[in-house]
Amino acid sequence: MDLSSFLLQQIINAVFLGSIYSLIALGYTMVYGIIELINFAHGELFTAGAFIGVIVLTALQQMGFVETHFVLTMIIVFVMSMSYVAVLGVAVEHVAYKPLRTSSRLSALLSALGMSIFLSNGMMLSQGVSDRAYPQVFGIEGIEFMGARITNGQIFIIILAVALMVGLQLFVHRTRLGKAMRATAQNKTMARILGIDIDQTIRITFMIGPALGAAAGVMVGLHYGAVRFDMGFIFMIKAFAAAILGGIGSIPGAMLGGLIIGTIEVMWAAFLPSAWKDVTTFTVLIMVLYFKPSGLLGEGTTEVRV
Amino acid sequence: MKKAGIIVLCLTLILGFQSMALAKTLKIGTLSPLTGPYAQDGTDILQGVKTAVAVYGALKGYDKVEVVPGDSACDGGKATMAANKLINSGVNVIIGAYCSSATEPAQIPIMDAGIVQITPASTNERLTAKGYKYFFRMPPRDDVQAWSTVQFLEKKLKAKTIALIDDKQTYTAGLTANIEKFAKEKNIVKVIAHEYITPGDSDFTAVLTKLKRINPDVIYMSVYQPEGSKMIQQARKLDMSSTFLSEDAVFHPKFLEVAGKNAEGVYLTFAKAPETPERDEFVQTYMKMWNAKAVGSYAYYAYDAGMMALAAIEKASTADADKLQQTIRDNTWTGVSGDISFDEHGDRKIAHIVWLVKDNKFVPFWDPITGKDL
Repeated sequence: MDLSSFLLQQIINAVFLGSIYSLIALGYTMVYGIIELINFAHGELFTAGAFIGVIVLTALQQMGFVETHFVLTMIIVFVMSMSYVAVLGVAVEHVAYKPLRTSSRLSALLSALGMSIFLSNGMMLSQGVSDRAYPQVFGIEGIEFMGARITNGQIFIIILAVALMVGLQLFVHRTRLGKAMRATAQNKTMARILGIDIDQTIRITFMIGPALGAAAGVMVGLHYGAVRFDMGFIFMIKAFAAAILGGIGSIPGAMLGGLIIGTIEVMWAAFLPSAWKDVTTFTVLIMVLYFKPSGLLGEGTTEVRV
Repeated sequence: MKKAGIIVLCLTLILGFQSMALAKTLKIGTLSPLTGPYAQDGTDILQGVKTAVAVYGALKGYDKVEVVPGDSACDGGKATMAANKLINSGVNVIIGAYCSSATEPAQIPIMDAGIVQITPASTNERLTAKGYKYFFRMPPRDDVQAWSTVQFLEKKLKAKTIALIDDKQTYTAGLTANIEKFAKEKNIVKVIAHEYITPGDSDFTAVLTKLKRINPDVIYMSVYQPEGSKMIQQARKLDMSSTFLSEDAVFHPKFLEVAGKNAEGVYLTFAKAPETPERDEFVQTYMKMWNAKAVGSYAYYAYDAGMMALAAIEKASTADADKLQQTIRDNTWTGVSGDISFDEHGDRKIAHIVWLVKDNKFVPFWDPITGKDL
């Protein structure tokens, strides 16, 4: 393996990991953009998505559906997982955040942490404490070019992740609901005066963000082969760092942040001592925040929004 | 106020007498990770001990045998807290913990309290090197494991180069340090790279790609099962040509289940499994009792630890730690993981063999002591 193919392989590794971080980070950033709350339950919603995915996929595999209708299977798995988690996201918002919308931010934050623990334990009790194997529907087949290798599964996942992100950008910038979301994020009171249904806008945000997280959950399961009730935690930390790095509240920021975090992780381990990988990721985060506290693409003064 | 005080006093006294009048109970505490990434092995251990108590049945001199579970979470702090809780609840014997990094600190209060502790899983050699007389270990030690691994590399695989991967924990890092030491002695196998991963991570492609570039003959995965299962899948996806070798923490039916076809051709070190009717019987009982598809590798040791503790208490006719440890030391016990006897450090006389994953099963492959195929 020469240097160029080595580099190409590491870029593939980085883009793959980064696009998963980006998808999860979008959930944090969207919710923060709208109601200025860190949704700590997001990691659990991501895990819930992965679990729905494995349940549906295993059932379809036992029916022999995967071999005959592969594309349809993937559509069913992703749609079921994303819609379940979208409903769960709205439920979480209704139970844990809506009643506290006018109270202090600290109580909403505690409520978010409580929700996270509640969901995590719920999944532990219902799905068990050990790893659950994901059916290996993609196998290890892939294409090779210039000495680097990418599997069919990875190609599928990267394309889907990019499609979801492009779709989200179009939704936010080209539709009425998207416009309402942007307006609500900018100034809730003004948006309400102009006749925007704030509650509905928040509900929709809590559908889209978690649904993207669920898609990332299924992707993680499909590629890494196993899911566990507490797997959300480590992804949550990285994705949260990505959202902050990109500027929390900014959608393109979350996408960029995810890619950067993924790239730092992979490239550091690729060229420098791998034992320091995680230290570096968070050092970079601290450095960026030191020089640009609002993150790379953040708008700066989030505090003055009333 | 006075009346209330008297009532409270009466109630306390009643409660006190009640516990005195209660049946004589033997308490076996367990320490294993019931939450966190290694909860599968932790549950296996708890279930193994519970199976032992159920199979053993009535214990002479006691009306009841109770299992008190403790969650060590593969974490030194939590394990010590759980150990103190077990000590305070008055357990007679403790079986655990799983991760060496949890067992090492938890050992201190247990040994201070003078309670016999039997670990069914922790293999770091430091644990028995401290001169504790109440501490016993069921599986073989890590320096034995590292020696077997290096023998296998030199004599059977005839490897020239090896790369090590570990996740910096007491057990995994101890093992790679030992391998490095033994490999240097004869200098037949050269350690050409040593990479690290973070426990709990999912993506190891960066490190694996790095190793693909150096292309060692053998890659040694010194990790736990959840990371090992994911790592081998990613290695196959990267189409790596090195031979993969791993250890007793990855040796678990879950590894075969999660990694599936990708696990084929992986070598692992684990103690020999005796083919006895007792073992088959235990497998049947265990699977029926816990509705399990397979028996976790450490459930065997946990079951043996439980059975041995109960038999030793019956033989010594006391649960007093001094007499109990002497009884355990003086006798040879039979178990589903083979005959059990201990040396003066509390280490069991047992060694590893090399296993191969073939047709989604662990198959005995090579014996490092005799140097013969199995």
